[in-house]
Amino acid sequence: MTAVTEAPPASTPETAPPRHTGRLAGLLGALAPRARLLGIVGGVVAILGSQLPWATFVLNQGAYPELATLPFGFTGFRLHLVILGLATIVVAAVRVPAANRIVRNLGIGIVAVAVINGLYITVEGGGLGAITAADGAVAFGSVVALIGGVLAILGSAAGGVEPRPELDWNLPLWVEWLLLVVIFVLMLLVVAAALTSGGQGGVVNPYSGAVFLSFLGAAGGAFAGLNASGLLGYVATLSERHRVFSVIVLLIVALGLPLTSAGTEYWMTVASNIGVYAATAIGLNIVVGLAGLLDLGYVAFLGIGAFVAANLSGATASAVGIHLPFVLVMVISAVVAGIFGAIVGSPTLRVRGDYLAIVTLAFGEIFVRSAQNNIGGLTGGANAIPNIPAVAVGDFRFNESITIGSVQLPSGVMYYVLIVLLVAGVMLVFGNLKNSRLGRAWIAIREDEDAASAMGIRTGPIKILAFLLGATLAGLAGAFFAHKTGVVAYDSFRFLESVTLLSAVILGGMGTIPGAVLGASILFVLPEKLREFSDYRLLIFGLALVLIMRFRPQGIVADKHRRAELAEEPEDAAKEAPGPLPTRVEP
Amino acid sequence: MSEEQATSPDDKVGTATGEELPPELQAPPEEVVAVLAEDMHVATGTREPILQSSGVSMVFGGLRALNDVTFSLGEGEIIGLIGPNGAGKTTFFNCLTGLYSPTSGQVTLRGKAMPKDPARVTQAGVARTFQNIRLFPSMTAMENVLVGRHVRMKQGPLSSLLHGPRFRKSEAEAHDRAEKLLAFVGLGRFSDELARNLPYGDQRRLEIARALATDPSVLLLDEPTAGMNAQETEATRQLIFAIRDLGVSVVVIEHDTKFIFTLCDRVLVLVQGELLVEGSPDEVRGDPRVVEAYLGAPPEEIEAQIHAGATTGSGTGGSGLQEGSTG
Repeated sequence: MTAVTEAPPASTPETAPPRHTGRLAGLLGALAPRARLLGIVGGVVAILGSQLPWATFVLNQGAYPELATLPFGFTGFRLHLVILGLATIVVAAVRVPAANRIVRNLGIGIVAVAVINGLYITVEGGGLGAITAADGAVAFGSVVALIGGVLAILGSAAGGVEPRPELDWNLPLWVEWLLLVVIFVLMLLVVAAALTSGGQGGVVNPYSGAVFLSFLGAAGGAFAGLNASGLLGYVATLSERHRVFSVIVLLIVALGLPLTSAGTEYWMTVASNIGVYAATAIGLNIVVGLAGLLDLGYVAFLGIGAFVAANLSGATASAVGIHLPFVLVMVISAVVAGIFGAIVGSPTLRVRGDYLAIVTLAFGEIFVRSAQNNIGGLTGGANAIPNIPAVAVGDFRFNESITIGSVQLPSGVMYYVLIVLLVAGVMLVFGNLKNSRLGRAWIAIREDEDAASAMGIRTGPIKILAFLLGATLAGLAGAFFAHKTGVVAYDSFRFLESVTLLSAVILGGMGTIPGAVLGASILFVLPEKLREFSDYRLLIFGLALVLIMRFRPQGIVADKHRRAELAEEPEDAAKEAPGPLPTRVEP
Repeated sequence: MSEEQATSPDDKVGTATGEELPPELQAPPEEVVAVLAEDMHVATGTREPILQSSGVSMVFGGLRALNDVTFSLGEGEIIGLIGPNGAGKTTFFNCLTGLYSPTSGQVTLRGKAMPKDPARVTQAGVARTFQNIRLFPSMTAMENVLVGRHVRMKQGPLSSLLHGPRFRKSEAEAHDRAEKLLAFVGLGRFSDELARNLPYGDQRRLEIARALATDPSVLLLDEPTAGMNAQETEATRQLIFAIRDLGVSVVVIEHDTKFIFTLCDRVLVLVQGELLVEGSPDEVRGDPRVVEAYLGAPPEEIEAQIHAGATTGSGTGGSGLQEGSTG
């Protein structure tokens, strides 16, 4: 935990010559000439830590992963530490551009791995003895690794954290394409590893939550390091340059997930659920991210889509009792949800800001209560609508497994393919709308509604359109959701779900597509993965949200606009400099 | 386009400081103006009244902010609207642009009643800027101007969704016009800069470019030089002349009397919601009622002050008047 308090001073000064203030100043000033050495030593210490024992005894629930009571090992978190440590050493020794920035981020990754595993062993083992010395055994692994991480961070802070370099190389076209393919495939592997890290949890693997968090910490540090080096920015530029190519490759790569370690029925289901929430989050992103209208009852549209689909699916419990083809069901669900969206959106003509939030909140509650009371016999009430038949094309049902040649694909793979295509479609809709007359009008309304109106934007219809389109996308996702899970119950569409969706949008980065997808993935995977922590689950979850919002308010994937809005003051002031301009305060 | 003006941008008035303006502050180059004028073709070449108000009154509760204001703006004309703080100038602007609907009286554009809704007013051809700059701060300069093109773009929601050939055509046209407008106001090199990051004076000009993007026939400028230094004020004057030469009629609210007197064809003085004096800059400058309304102090002194304000630095003149108005 001490490491967490060390981190902020290192992360705040963004400018090249370090401006150290306060008590830390003297220390960092003295360390400045040895910054490089500190980085190298930090890396070495981290690797050393990884090879020491981490737990003094076997925990009650079973042995901690990676043979933690023994020294030496190159698996799991130990491997992650070795990789991070080696990277730190190399970067610090070779002095690549923005070396301090990279070292700082790698150091944070090392600290995260050390703290997460150390903390978990401490809590499970019932005291600090578990990670220091007890019963004649010593296990200082986590402590040593933590020191290594802190040393690296200190070194980078003393050396002064540089601004992130902007890389751009002019490579031949085929090299750039190849690079993109390789990077996207790597991304897929990382995603598969993240998804499956720690396994399914439960009795078989009691430590899955800790393993997953540790993986997240290590991956986060590595990504932050790559980002600091400017490489991620370069990839972003590259994919922007070959937009169509990237989109196609990304789509193909995403469809390749069933071929990786995540290719089992369980992970296909998890991935499909993430897809549902990602599609819904992108829809919400239109309303909140683009048009700036706070919607606290958005999950109701997912619910409306799901219930409409359930009723038209031929389920025995459905009130309508007709069975329409899935494609048609999707369209109808989307249209019905869209109509409700327009109805809910209509008060936006009169109310703004907080008041609108309350109106949407009320709508969400109306929906949940109505569904709970089985209104019109359409929602099944507490009994829900069970046994919704799977989507079928001819004789093939989507929840069966497929065998292509010698490759056996897990059951549920077709649902996964379907949701990937759906999310891709939703992304396309969002991207197209954002870069159009309509999208600009939404952003203008978000920025300044009166000025937008003075520019000839008829704000009323345009705002309703935002609600309508957002709800339509949620309705589409709802139809898929109903068929995938086979059961639609009012319980899935409570206020908390709306809040989580909203958090996903804000956490991932308002107004961006990758942000919404990433946010949805994190928010719906984390609670699953943290089941091991039972009572502390939501606490950790909330704490993570608070920390991310504190240190990265613009979201994980920042929109260029948002980034500017939340940029740190000095940067803004520097940009405003040109010309001697006496600015008068407006009356 | 409109070659009948007596005060064309050619008779460049020297800057208040007597220095040469830096290139980015100079009047828009003639070729830019020519191309834009062709694109916008708003002027008909006549000087017929285009924007009129008759007997406009505005009452807020017990406060009579405007009382029976009647005025007429001719095509290709620049009218100045001055008056002490709280005289009702901005209220009058808001009545003209549909932000307020007048308690009584009527506003007409080319003889037709003005719509009630600001968006429709803009659609009809009246654009405005705001007293406190109201750009879309987190959009780039280019995007701000593109938002201004909103009313003139033929691009429905479906087209926005599908990005077909017609979408690309309308987008290309809008970008083309926006680029020209940014060049026109001297912000060509800032097109990808976020509005919030622009220097103050540039923000004011960007707001003008955004308003011009709506292809207005009338442009209402609310204190366009507030907070500007002498050089920038001069640049703004040149810009307004150039806008007039595009065929756009202009109404300007301003406290800086020197600016108004050297810019406008006609000046209206609004005091406590009433139109006190109307006439050429020379007539208004000499009118004792104006002096009194502004200052409420012995006439000789103030007259001297006003003349001083009109002949020396604009900044001191303007602020001098404002400070005096409390007395």
